This record gives sequence, C-alpha cells and structure tokens, in this order.
Amino acid sequence: MGKSSPTLTPPVDSSKKRKQKFTKRDWAFYAMVIPAVLLFATFHTFPALQGIYYSFTNWNGISLEYDFVGFKNYIHLFKDKVVKDSYIFTFSFAIMATILVNVISLAVAIGLNAKIKGRNFFRAIYFLPNVLGVLIVGFIFNFFFTNILPTIGERLDIDFLTVNILGSEKYAWVGILLVVVWQACAFNIILYLAGLQTVPSDLYEASGLDGANHWQQFWKITFPMIAPFFTINMVLSMKNFLMVFDQIVAMTGGGPGHSTTSISLLIYKGGFQGGEFAFQSANAVIYFLLIMFVSIFQLKILQKREVDM
Amino acid sequence: MKQRTNWPVTILIILGSLIILFPLYMSFSIALKNPQELAKSALAFPTVFRWENFTRAIEATNFFNALKNSALITGATLILTILSNSLVAYAVARNMHKKFFKGLYFYFVSALFIPFPIIMLPIVKQTSALGLNNPGGLILLYVVYGMAINIFIYVGYIRSIPVELEEAAIIDGCNTWQVFWKVIFPLLMPINATIGILTCLWAWNDFLLPLIILNDSAHATLPLVQYVFQSEFGTDYNLAFASYLMALAPMVVVYLIAQKWIIGGVVKGSVK
Amino acid sequence: MKKKILLLVAGVLSVVLFAGCSSESGSNSKSDEVKIEFFQYKSEAIPTFAKLIAKFEEENPTIKVEQVSPPEAEVVLKTRVMKSDIPDIIGIGANNNFKELSKAGVYKDMTNDENLDKVQPAYLQMLKDVTGLDEIYAVPYVANAVGVIYNKAIFKELGLEVPTTWDEFITVAENVKKSGQTPFYFTFKDAWTTLPAFNVLAANTQGDDFYDELNKGKVLVGTRYKEAAEKFVQLLDYGHKNQQGVAYNDGNTAFGNGESAMYLQGIWAIPEIKKANPAIDLGVFPYPLTNTPGESKVVSGIDLLLSIGASSKHPEEAQKFIEFLLKEENITMYIQEQNAFPALKGITQEEPSLEGLKESFAKGALVDFPDHYIPVGVTADQSLQILAQNKNVAAFLDTMQKDWEKVEDRK
Repeated sequence: MGKSSPTLTPPVDSSKKRKQKFTKRDWAFYAMVIPAVLLFATFHTFPALQGIYYSFTNWNGISLEYDFVGFKNYIHLFKDKVVKDSYIFTFSFAIMATILVNVISLAVAIGLNAKIKGRNFFRAIYFLPNVLGVLIVGFIFNFFFTNILPTIGERLDIDFLTVNILGSEKYAWVGILLVVVWQACAFNIILYLAGLQTVPSDLYEASGLDGANHWQQFWKITFPMIAPFFTINMVLSMKNFLMVFDQIVAMTGGGPGHSTTSISLLIYKGGFQGGEFAFQSANAVIYFLLIMFVSIFQLKILQKREVDM
Repeated sequence: MKQRTNWPVTILIILGSLIILFPLYMSFSIALKNPQELAKSALAFPTVFRWENFTRAIEATNFFNALKNSALITGATLILTILSNSLVAYAVARNMHKKFFKGLYFYFVSALFIPFPIIMLPIVKQTSALGLNNPGGLILLYVVYGMAINIFIYVGYIRSIPVELEEAAIIDGCNTWQVFWKVIFPLLMPINATIGILTCLWAWNDFLLPLIILNDSAHATLPLVQYVFQSEFGTDYNLAFASYLMALAPMVVVYLIAQKWIIGGVVKGSVK
Repeated sequence: MKKKILLLVAGVLSVVLFAGCSSESGSNSKSDEVKIEFFQYKSEAIPTFAKLIAKFEEENPTIKVEQVSPPEAEVVLKTRVMKSDIPDIIGIGANNNFKELSKAGVYKDMTNDENLDKVQPAYLQMLKDVTGLDEIYAVPYVANAVGVIYNKAIFKELGLEVPTTWDEFITVAENVKKSGQTPFYFTFKDAWTTLPAFNVLAANTQGDDFYDELNKGKVLVGTRYKEAAEKFVQLLDYGHKNQQGVAYNDGNTAFGNGESAMYLQGIWAIPEIKKANPAIDLGVFPYPLTNTPGESKVVSGIDLLLSIGASSKHPEEAQKFIEFLLKEENITMYIQEQNAFPALKGITQEEPSLEGLKESFAKGALVDFPDHYIPVGVTADQSLQILAQNKNVAAFLDTMQKDWEKVEDRK
C-alpha cells in the first residue's frame, strides 16, 4: 500500500456518498474490527451459545453422553426453592447495595467538594479500596467479623455482637453488604466528585443571592447537573452487585444454609461441584435475561428523569 | 470570594477516612505480631515489629514467582488492550451510522450483561483444545473480554473528538491507519489512562479466570496463591496477613506513586 | 510508519498467541525419561507425597513424577476431564465425584489387577457401593474415620470415663457443662463440619435397607433421618456460644488449646490440632449411639484411592508408581504422617491417640459415610447448618426429602 492519494477518499465526504462506494477507508475500518469480532465470537459468544445449548440437555459436565430434555431444566428451575431464594437474596442485596453505595458516595463526594483541608489527600484515601483485590479484602474482613467484632461486642456488652454475624442465618448478609459497600464506594465517590466539579460555581452564587439554602441548592442545581453520573452509577453498580461472587466466597461460602447464596455462586457451585451443569446453565440463561431487563429498565427510567429535570 | 475552611465537614471526612483505613491498620497490626501477641490483642499497636512473618510468607507462597506471573500477565494485558481495543472502538465510533458497526457496538456492549458462569465450562474446554491453558491464553481472554466495557467507554470518548481533525490529516496524505495512530491515538491518552487503570486492576486482582484457565501451579498469580495459602496454612494469621499485605502491596505502591494521575485518569475519562 | 506499527502489533499478538503453543511441547526434551503426573486432592498430604516421590525417583531414575494438588482439586479435575487432559495417576476420595468420573470412563479398569488382593474386602465393597458399578476403577489406599476426639487431661481433671452408651455420653457432656467448661467445640461457619457427627448418627440409625431402597429409587431420608437429626440437635446443647460463627481452622486451634473437652471431627483433624498444641494428650473413642455397649459402628470411608487415567500414555510407569506406594514401608510412612488408616490387609495404625478406634477396625465394625451417597446437589451440609441454628427437626427432614427428590427428578 503506497501513499493513498487524497482524491480517492474525499476528506469532506458526505455520508450519502460513503454508503454508495466501498472506499479504501471503509476497507480499513473493516480490517480494524474483523479480527476483534472473530476473537470475541470465538471466546465469548460461542461459549455462551454452547452454554445455552447445554441448558436444554441433561449433561452433568463430564459424562460422555447426554440427552436433550427440552425445557425440563427451565421447568424445574421455577419449582426450586433454593433457586428462588437465591434470586430473592441477590436482588434485595443488589438493591440495598446500590442505594447505600450511591447515597454514601454522593454524600462523601459533596463533603470532599466542600471547602475542606487536604482535599486531595482525602480523595486519595477514599479511592484506595478500589485498588485492593476483592478476595483479599474479603479474607481481611472475614477475620474482623470472626475474631475482632465478637471481642468488641463482649467488651461493650452488646449481646448480638458477641457472636460472629457471618454465622447467623438472619444477619450474615449484613456483613457481606458492609464489605461490598466499603469497597464499592471508592469508585463512585470519585465519579460523583468529578461530576460535582463540572457544576460551575457561579450557579451556586446566583442561587445564593436568591436565598436558597443548601438543601434546595442540592436538589435544584447540583442534582440535575450530575444526573447523568447518577444514571450511569446506578446502572453499573446495580449490575455489578447482581453478580456478587468473590466476597461471598471469601466470607461465608453462601451460608449459613443458603442464606447468602447469590445467583452466581449457585451457578458455580451447582454447576461445578454439584454436577448439575445443564440445570445451572438454564439458571444462567434466566439470570442473563433478568440482568439485561433490569439494566434496560433502569436506563429508560433514569434517562427519562434526566430529561424531565 | 474566598470561603473559609468548612471544619464540620472536614471532621466528618476525617472520621470517614478512618473507616477506610481501619482494615488496613488491622492487617498491619496482625502481620507484625507473633501468635502470642495476637492472642492478647489484635488491634493494639505492635510493640515489636515481627518482620520475619513477611520473610516466612515470601518463602511459603513463593511470592516472587507469583509476583512475576501477575506482573507479566497484567503488563501484557494492559499493552495489548490499549492498542487493540482503542483501534476497534475507533472503527466503530466513526461508523455508527452504518448498521453493521452499530450492530457491532451493541454486540460488544451487550456482552457486559452475560454472566460469566454460563461461559465458564465451555471456555475451559475450548482454551485447552487450542493449547491456551497458560498465561498466554489468559492474556488473550482478558484482552477479548475487556472489549465489552472498553468499547463502550472508548466509543463515547472518540465520538466527542471532532472529525475535522482527521480530515486535515487525510488531506495531508494519511490513510485511515495513520490517521488513527498519528491523530486519534495521541488524543486518547486521558481515556487510555482510564482504561489502563481499570484493566490493570481487573487483571491483577482477578481470581476466577486464572483458577480455571491456568494448569501449571508455576504459573499461579498472586490472588491464586493467596487462595491456596488460605486453605493450607489454617490459623497462622500472622503469616496469612503478611502474605495478604504483600499481595496487595504492589498495586497500592503504584497507586500511591501515581495517585493523582490515576484518579485524574478515571475522572477525565468519565467526565466525557 | 503505518506498516511498522502494524508489524509491531502483529508481532506482539503472535508472540502472545504462540507462546502458549511452544511452551507445552518444549518440556519433554530428554528422550529416555518418562514424566508422569500424579494428581491428588489432599493438600495436607503434599509434603508426605513429595518425600515418597523423591524416594521413588531415586529407585527409578528414568521416571519423573510430578505431583499436582491444586485448591478446589475436584473442580479442577473435572475441568481437566473436559479438556481431555487427564492426569496419569489420580488420587481422590470414594465419593460422588469418583462415581461420576468412573461412569464417564475417565479411569482405567483395574478389576483384574492383582494389587486389589492386598486390599481389605470391606473397602472394595464400599467402592462398588459408591459407584454402583461392578468394575473396579481404583485401588483403595487409605481410609479415614470419625470418632469423638477428646482431651484426656480434661477428662482426668473432671474424673470422667470414656462413655460406652448414649446415656453415658450425654451424662459426660452434662458433667463437663456443669463444671463450666465446654463439652463440644462446634465450627458450623464451615458448613461441612456439620457432617462428621451427622454421618455417624445417620449411618447407625438409618436402617440396613436404606441403600437397597435408594437403589430402587426410593428416597427415605424424610423418615429415616429422624433419629439422627434428633440426636444431633441434642448434642447442640453442649456446644459454645459462638458455634455458628467459628470456622474449622479456628476450631482445631481452640480444641488444641483445651477450650473444650470433646471435638466431633474426623481423625484428619488430629494433625491440625497438634499443630496448634503439640503437647496435647488426646484420644478418640467411637460414638456410642445406643445403650448397648459396642453396638455402634464407626464411620470410615476411603479417603484416598489411586487410579490410572484411561488415556494415560505411560500406564506401566503409572502402575509402577502405584505399586511403589502400596509397599508396606511406604504406606506405613503415609499413615504415620497423615494419621490415616490403611486400606490394605495386614498393616495397622499404631498411633496411640487412635487406640480407641482400633477395636472397631479389628472387628470390622465399620460403615461408610452416608454423605458419600447423597447427591452433591442436595447440599446436606447447608441444610444441617440451618438445623444447627433453628433446631427444627421437622423442617430439616422435609427439606432433605424434597431436595433429594428434586435432584433425582432433574437427572
């Protein structure tokens, strides 16, 4: 390929013309994406399709032969109490985590955006959890809940803290929620802070003259200005929390009973250890559809709000 | 008009940061004690620093080998991801008016919502059939799987870059590839930083993919080694915490050195 | 310029892609040396096997044995099977995974292997019971057992005798409790630690025809596990306050430090306990589950069996290694270091702390772990974790029965 002459690819090309002629420039664009598409199809789409395929079989993951069973796995899925409980746990957990993370992050970001001493220093500290590995953070907190918190509980004579909350069917989820929130806030704080810094300060000054208080300032000016950040944070954090896995592996392994078994964990455990690969593949398909649905739903609602504001 | 320092907020922020730092303090406090001192109090500041816990942990986990593996995998993933994903995103971003490329965009992005467990077993089968159950295969998977989110971020950013810049280069005789590498890629630096940071954190801290892809324990990454360590060494918490801290340390050190730049990268990338 | 960059990208990509391919073929360089892979699932046994392998390699300089023992070994093994990358020698337990892998044709058929003559017939039968197959795909190597591990010093201090009936057992627990100490140290944060005790209770009370009915497709847990569940709940009263929140590792340390008089675990916990307190004087006695002394059986299962991958390229070398491990001096070394019972005839475990189980082994008063027959999908351990918390026997039986039927139904 020599030097391409500018006449072949008119620089100020209209889109109409581009559609008609397959130019050298178009070839280049296709050459850029085709290898990526092939790799992605091979290592992501194809395995995913295989997973869907297996969901209609009775394959246990290792046997040499298996049969087609139609929708049997799906029917059993809807009858299974463990599966149902894991959906309830995962969704309530994700909703709580999303709300907590976004409220706390926004509050901290507003604090960091205020006139405070050593802002950059604190900003750096608040972002720190984001660079730590989830699994190891889980191990560290596991020790805290098992060995430190009960001692503190005894010293302060708070009865329910004297036992490890991770061992309690009722409260184990609280421990996991705390760890997830502790770590997930880091990233969201930074995003909100960035959003807050895009709000021009003269807007506040103008409203200050009108005699608006802080609360009104927030709802009238700040929040509408950072609404796009709010949208993307809500959607992405919800999606991440719906896939919660590492923290649970490190802290409770899904127990006690199934009380902290998230959907991902159930698919992993049932599919790999439990020898019910096909059944859990069906579960994964449903799970995928739900995540997709929730994300699109959130985007629609939140974007509509953005426009309304 | 200069405002005065808002002390109530400053104090709240200080209290909040103590919550962030507490688990790390606890880890140090445990890692620097011996079992007897730990039994007395886990949180008290260590009177004698037992650095030998760290040397023992280095030996027990073959730390430097795992560090080398993690660094190699993360480094290669980082470079390849930035070079390849930005290129793909560029082609997609500049052709969003065409059905094919718009379809591609949604094809990549929708993969974000596919739960990993569904592809887990098939991918294990596939990588080994292709002889990719090794660090090379792991890097390839990171680069490919990263495309879902990276293309989403890159495309948003590239579309904000005026096409006029490219047109000037085309008039100067650059072809499409040259336009990308000479004009667009340099402009992508802020977002490259973002993608780079996110990719590094992901590849460095990931646990599940190395667990199922890597066959040879000599290739084990840091999180994998911690996991083995956790089950093998039981209740030697001093040793375990020394080991955790060492596994966390490289990223924290990088973060402390490049803190402004890292946060700046994340911020600049996301404002777009 | 453009070409250079392209070449660079292509170069980097190809290095990455092909690095994978070349590294695998590069290893088998010495032509006369055979390398075999020994995959085993007991991470605590790595050092023992390392010593045995060193000895083997010295005797057989042309064979190199590579020991592989990853975390989540059975999951890794399954993925290896998917990859058709089956190790030469495989050592796991006689459990449901072994059954599935046997049926999948992973193992070489060893039914006519002469080495099986050395094995105690009870364990061969156990193997057949677990897989439900007539062929034998492995040589049972060592067995474990579950008993009540007790702290002799505390028993002496409180003037307690080893109980031989259920009533005596409860009285002992009661006396320990009265003295202000903890009778049992439970570690229910790890779900599986509910199983050792429950296995003993269920194996002795579920009825002799339980497995026959099961093979006919009748699941009887809902009624047959009642006595076991009730006795299990009875034992829970003698635990400690934080028994839901402590994990296995911490339990070993706590028992080692004398925090309870008894510990309801398998004998595999003893080396771990001694790690925490090498000076501890402990013993093991069989659970007395009825009021007739000596009636209750000890639960013992095949903890490690050795098989050869059906697709092994070096079956003779693999066979040689297995025969080496079966030699008296070598298995003796293993059982001493790992505190296990040999599955072979004519070899005895002389460890003084296991004295209390010796009689049961000599009499053959043994029974396999019931949970080796429960499909993994039933998650009996997690249901027991809940039972340990709410002590609701009826709900537990109902869940077990339904979950088991559900899993059978899905097959």
